[in-house]
Amino acid sequence: MSANIMVVVVLLPIVFGVLIPLIPFKTRRHMTWYVEGVVLLTSVLVWGLLISQPDGSFVLFRFTGNLSVSFRLDGLGTVFAGIVSSLWPLATLYSFEYMKHEGHEKFFFMFYVITYGVTLGIALAEDILTMYFFYEMLSLVTLPLIMHTLTREAILASRTYLYYSLGGAAFAFIGMIFILTFGTTSVFVPGGVIDTTALGDRQGLMLLIYVLCFCGFSVKAAMFPFSSWLPKAGVAPTPVTALLHAVAVVKAGAFTVIRVTYYSFGTELLRGTWAQTVVLGLTIFTIVYGCSRALKETHLKRRLAWSTVSNLSYILFGAALMTPLGLVGALSHMVFHAVMKICSFFCAGAVIYKTGRNYIHELNGFGRKMPKVFTIFTISGMALMGVPGLCGFVSKWNLAKAAAASENPLGYLGVAALLVSALLTAIYMMTISLRAFFPGRDFDYDMISDVEDPNWMMILPLVIFVIAMFVFGLHSEPVITALESIAAAMN
Amino acid sequence: MNGWILLPVFLPVIAGIFLLLMLSCERRRLHQAAGTVLVISALLALLAAWTGEKSVTLFYLMKDIPVYFHIDGISRIFVTFTSIVWVCVGIYAFVYMEHEGAEKRFFGFYLMVYGVLVALEFSGNLVTMYFFYELMTLTSAPMVLHNGSREAIMAALKYLFYSLCGAYMGLFGIYFLYQNCDTLTFTPGGTLNPALAQDHRTILLIAVFAMLVGFGAKAGMLPLHAWLPAAHPVAPSPASAVFSGIVVKAGVLAAIRTVYYVVGPDFIRGTWVQTAWMVLALVTVFMGSMMAYREPVFKKRLAYSTVSQISYILFGLSLLTPMGMTGALLHTVFHAFIKSALFLTAGVFIFECGKARVSELTGIGKRMPKTIWCYTFASLALIGIPPACGFVSKWYLAEGALHADVGIFGWLGPVVLLVSALLTAGYLLPVTMKGFFPGKGNGENSGMKKASVEISGVQNGITDDRDTGKKEPSLMMLIPLGILASLTIILGVLPNPLIHYISQLVSGLM
Repeated sequence: MSANIMVVVVLLPIVFGVLIPLIPFKTRRHMTWYVEGVVLLTSVLVWGLLISQPDGSFVLFRFTGNLSVSFRLDGLGTVFAGIVSSLWPLATLYSFEYMKHEGHEKFFFMFYVITYGVTLGIALAEDILTMYFFYEMLSLVTLPLIMHTLTREAILASRTYLYYSLGGAAFAFIGMIFILTFGTTSVFVPGGVIDTTALGDRQGLMLLIYVLCFCGFSVKAAMFPFSSWLPKAGVAPTPVTALLHAVAVVKAGAFTVIRVTYYSFGTELLRGTWAQTVVLGLTIFTIVYGCSRALKETHLKRRLAWSTVSNLSYILFGAALMTPLGLVGALSHMVFHAVMKICSFFCAGAVIYKTGRNYIHELNGFGRKMPKVFTIFTISGMALMGVPGLCGFVSKWNLAKAAAASENPLGYLGVAALLVSALLTAIYMMTISLRAFFPGRDFDYDMISDVEDPNWMMILPLVIFVIAMFVFGLHSEPVITALESIAAAMN
Repeated sequence: MNGWILLPVFLPVIAGIFLLLMLSCERRRLHQAAGTVLVISALLALLAAWTGEKSVTLFYLMKDIPVYFHIDGISRIFVTFTSIVWVCVGIYAFVYMEHEGAEKRFFGFYLMVYGVLVALEFSGNLVTMYFFYELMTLTSAPMVLHNGSREAIMAALKYLFYSLCGAYMGLFGIYFLYQNCDTLTFTPGGTLNPALAQDHRTILLIAVFAMLVGFGAKAGMLPLHAWLPAAHPVAPSPASAVFSGIVVKAGVLAAIRTVYYVVGPDFIRGTWVQTAWMVLALVTVFMGSMMAYREPVFKKRLAYSTVSQISYILFGLSLLTPMGMTGALLHTVFHAFIKSALFLTAGVFIFECGKARVSELTGIGKRMPKTIWCYTFASLALIGIPPACGFVSKWYLAEGALHADVGIFGWLGPVVLLVSALLTAGYLLPVTMKGFFPGKGNGENSGMKKASVEISGVQNGITDDRDTGKKEPSLMMLIPLGILASLTIILGVLPNPLIHYISQLVSGLM
């Protein structure tokens, strides 16, 4: 497949998404076919691209000189595009059922489909300007999705999201300017593009800029102290919280951090400096902080959102180790966390959809009434804890392996933080399962007699995720080997 | 092809899952099915263990980390006593679980935990062991919360989180060992890479210490011991018996594998890690006995006793000498039989009379003499009075300490062991004495009848003939109890084959 397809996969969802409110669909069913069709077509094209790995870039348009919006597929982009394109069709299928009770579906699906294109734009961006452009766009197109219910809470949450995102983008912008000034090229190159001779004695300044840039892009990945927008954004409909706030948007944050660290600034420049210490410290703190907040939270989706905060910092921690092994750990957690977290969010969504209950203390005894959902939820919880045999163990193993090999005391501390976080994860996930399956001897099941498992449209994605968790957990070698080959390009 | 050695792993696990998924089942059929599976898998496990060294690689969990099983001397010992106790307690449970209800769930998990334990004992590398260690925690937790009361659920949570905390501390160590060892496959003498170990000495010692404390959580070692006294009183008695006798031994096994088969005893000999380990073990020995001495609830008393006794084993291991290790392994085997027998008698008291507190057991010897005799034999063994078996293991432990080059601990250890033995006599024997010789003023006992019914949660409707006449439990309960109790004496009278086997094994290690 030629490189031109890249621009197609980015523009196709955007254009067809914009058309959704304009097309007069006869029935709801027609609209769902249209939406699933667009999403599936895009995904198939993306998979075609990923398999054929076209070499070469496609320039959409040029601003001035060497500034352009252009696309190119490389290893890192393959990973991110692969995650997104695999999960989007499943999440769409799930949302058809879920969105029945939310209303305003046309506008919802419009932005939902557009976001797909924009996320792919980030994954396929060839240079920092393109990536920045799509990064900003992502903030804007996902805003209406958070606002969807138009309650006061939702509007406040979307406002918080907007301020955080724009603030982060501003920092990222500063970083971009410096890269463009001191870099030999604006294109992403494994190992970095900073010209050290041009930099001269301004290395300290460059490190400061790196920290700002790291923080700027990490706003989307909800790193402390920029994490509070994510739990608030939990007011959005579940398909949004599951796909965007556990996968697409937050992983876009982690992805951009990896891009600027490994492909723009370069690890040579950063490794062992105070800048690395600062970002490592922040990520380690967030790993524990996110879990502790999750533990305190009684709202189911917000608890999962705090868990995302913590897990995203696993990825950032791996990236901040600035070694090829660290990158492997970060990328493996990026892939596996996507599966685990979207699965647990979908379970939460199934509960909300079927019963309208949002708080954990309302879930007593649900295990017997919704056996499929809660079994799957328990498995995803175990995966998040890192039980061997499920995929979470593999990514934690790779992260810890990298940290133990890093020869950096903060790395060792990070290993401890990972395990503390695993314990806290066990507490906040397993208490839910125990409550659901063992409500106590005197529990009256008549109180929840109307609770039942949802239909196949919601169960099917869940089952696929569970299978994926086991497959990745028991046979991770192909994935890890592929990630290692990406990381090997760094040296 | 050695694949068949995994049959005793898969058979009970699959049967257990099948039982859990089954909608309903007649009680007798359930017992037949569970009993058959249990006995067949135990026989298969013993057959696999005693027909020579075998290894099998199941699949690769990660690129250089296979799920690898290897049967060696240590696995053989552990599998043997695990299987004997598991079958005995299982048969006992067929009767006992009648009043607890939800038998299908109980036996489902009971079988699964057995399979997982066998896998744990057959594990041939550290990651495989960790895999099954964690699985065992998860599958055994439902046995604690069996009766579904609030305390039971809280106790199960406590068990889960202490165990997971311990497991994660172990994992912390595994990450660093992976970095600094040539291989994680168990090799007598250890696999540390000398050059790497020299460079990372400090962090490695911290990692090993974290592993010892972490695996110590399962073994009830300070500071992560608190789940034991919480979990035992609420769990059904057969569950307590296997928890105290077998499951806690998983912590011992993990410590043995870590220290003697991966890190190597030479690396920690004479370091602060060894000292800290010995101190923790000795403090636990003493503290556990003290707590048991002043505990009025019978099963909780036995739980504290387990805390103390397992640390005997850990103390023996921490000496890092062949003799200490021999003592530790002997005590591991003996304690498994003793403690499960003791818990089974506690179960008899609860099942037949609804008595859970020690003070209510006055005069019980008249009513169930056989049970009390079994109890007495097991108690004597635990205290260490010859010819019962505890004497042998404690002898080796004390000798080992005296001969080890560990400074002050050489004599402090035996002193603590002796004091603890006295305390053990103090907390176990009064049950026998009061049981047979209630003395006068037995009348107060009937006043507590009502309270005892509430405490144990038993309402089997027998109230009138409670304190009168003989009331031995049925043979299905008495025979397993008798087997376990007589094993404690037989092994004490004829310990030589076992000692011989273990010292050969240990001399190959050090």
